[in-house]
Amino acid sequence: MSATHGNPTPPHGNPTHRDGNPTPPHGNPTFPPLNPTPPPVNPTPRRGSPTPWHVTDAQAASYATGSAPETDAWSLEKHVESCGDCAARVSAAVRATTAGPELAAIRASILTAATTPRAVTGRLGELDARGGLRLSARGGVPHFAARASRLLWAAGPAVRGAWMVAVVLVGAAAVALAYGAGYGAARQALLAVAPVLPLAGVAVSYGRHADPMYEIGASTPSGGLRLLLTRTAAVLAVSVPLLTAAGAVLPGGSGGPGAAAWLLPGLALTLATLALGSFVGCRAAAGTLSTAWLLAVAGPVVGRPGTGSLPLAADLVRLLSGAAAQGAWAAGAVVCAGLLVLRRRSFDLMEPR
Amino acid sequence: MTTSVTVRALTVRHRRTVALNTVDLDFRTGVHGLLGPNGAGKTSLIRVLATVAAPAAGRIELLGRDVGAHRERAAVRRALGYLPQEFGHYPGFTVREFVSYVAWLKEMPAARVPTAVERAVERVGLADRIDTKMKTLSGGMVRRAGIAQAIVNEPELLLLDEPTAGLDPEQRVEFRALLRDLGATSTVIVSTHLVEDVAAACQEVTLIESGRIAYRGTTAELTALGGEHGRDSDGNAIERGYTTALRAHRASLAEAAR
Repeated sequence: MSATHGNPTPPHGNPTHRDGNPTPPHGNPTFPPLNPTPPPVNPTPRRGSPTPWHVTDAQAASYATGSAPETDAWSLEKHVESCGDCAARVSAAVRATTAGPELAAIRASILTAATTPRAVTGRLGELDARGGLRLSARGGVPHFAARASRLLWAAGPAVRGAWMVAVVLVGAAAVALAYGAGYGAARQALLAVAPVLPLAGVAVSYGRHADPMYEIGASTPSGGLRLLLTRTAAVLAVSVPLLTAAGAVLPGGSGGPGAAAWLLPGLALTLATLALGSFVGCRAAAGTLSTAWLLAVAGPVVGRPGTGSLPLAADLVRLLSGAAAQGAWAAGAVVCAGLLVLRRRSFDLMEPR
Repeated sequence: MTTSVTVRALTVRHRRTVALNTVDLDFRTGVHGLLGPNGAGKTSLIRVLATVAAPAAGRIELLGRDVGAHRERAAVRRALGYLPQEFGHYPGFTVREFVSYVAWLKEMPAARVPTAVERAVERVGLADRIDTKMKTLSGGMVRRAGIAQAIVNEPELLLLDEPTAGLDPEQRVEFRALLRDLGATSTVIVSTHLVEDVAAACQEVTLIESGRIAYRGTTAELTALGGEHGRDSDGNAIERGYTTALRAHRASLAEAAR
């Protein structure tokens, strides 16, 4: 260690030997009669350490008990790599401590495990093509499944976490409300929430706040917009079928919007999140647009309390039903997609803090 | 020994503060140390060179390409290795999956990935932990996995921001040997605040202070600078050289301001 640092002092570093004393540690007047090593012999003179030394019993004991200063411990560890006598002395000192019985037990169990024939404990498939041991013990999951799961992880951090749970819960809760509690406006409630769920998925999939590997990814050719679109696609691939299916099994009510009515607004809001995200970051964009949507849906209800679920249905009808509303959402989606194309290069760099 | 990094009149800003002030730099094949006090602008320079941050002004040419253009930037990124100062990982990933994932992000040919991943992991001394989950690794091991992801594509330009943070002394010695090895064929730029990292592994030193270049020279020159001035009690020769160069830079700035 010290040699590589260009430090001219011998590697023991013990303060008692540091004051310019040229004698090696075993020449220390306190210990010479006790030292079993013949002093002049140094079987492996180490490069860069002109004064050869050996581990004294006192040093070995203080190392074994863990009371040696860190620098001394390093020197000692380096030294015993190449000096058998000192290694034996240090081993003996360690065995003499309370760790001795524990070490003996570990040694015994390792020997038992290592000498048990492979044919007994080993299983077919444990060796892969490279001849190395693989973690085949993942319950026998085939290799391609592991690969597919990695791709899924890569494609969508959202898909594996709390967001996924939230989407399933929302769908399940709507169904439970409709059939368990007999709540008549369950589909309207689901439609009111559904368009912001993909936004939440985008927010937890990409960006400096959500993706732990964001900075590494940003320095690669796949980073930026391509990764963001891959992950957005994963979010939509999960949320669209789940939420639409949940909506379809709910009673529609009279004249309410259909189960698929949220798809265009959901797409438009998702694209708007990406476009706005190119300026302010995806998390802030998703937060802003989700809030705006929820206010548009629920704001009038809050403003007119006591009238039950009817205003929610009326506002949803205004927002979702009919060719005019759906046409407006489609146009909005196209505009946002266009803006996203114009802003595509902004994702090449890390998003603003 | 071609020039692989050319930086002209580079200015980097973080909101109102100037992180780098009209800096000119060239780097060739070899290991280059980026030294300086905390907050001097080392990370800002590394981030701009890693193409993840945009400069406020100036021109950057990496591996003979202007990174201002998208197509050129993608080509540079394929030949780039980058270890950020702080980086995360997906906790469920094993070391092998973590490094493979970055290889995939770097668009390496799929057939080459498995062997490249094993080689990179072996070079950082984690071969025995390759199928261990990242979340069970110690801090030093996570950092070494980070170095493995940076070198998995055998980059022509390797940027390492404080790579020795969290490594114990023995791992540092091994890491410096790896750096010297990588520097034989690539341009390696290492930012550090540990002078001994530079002394042991770098051929050239760039000293940055307050967004300006305070000193450039070979490691031997910086050591010699320390040999002329100061006493033994001020640390070893290269540490004295570092201090001497910094003080000279501050004195010349004060002179210019007068």
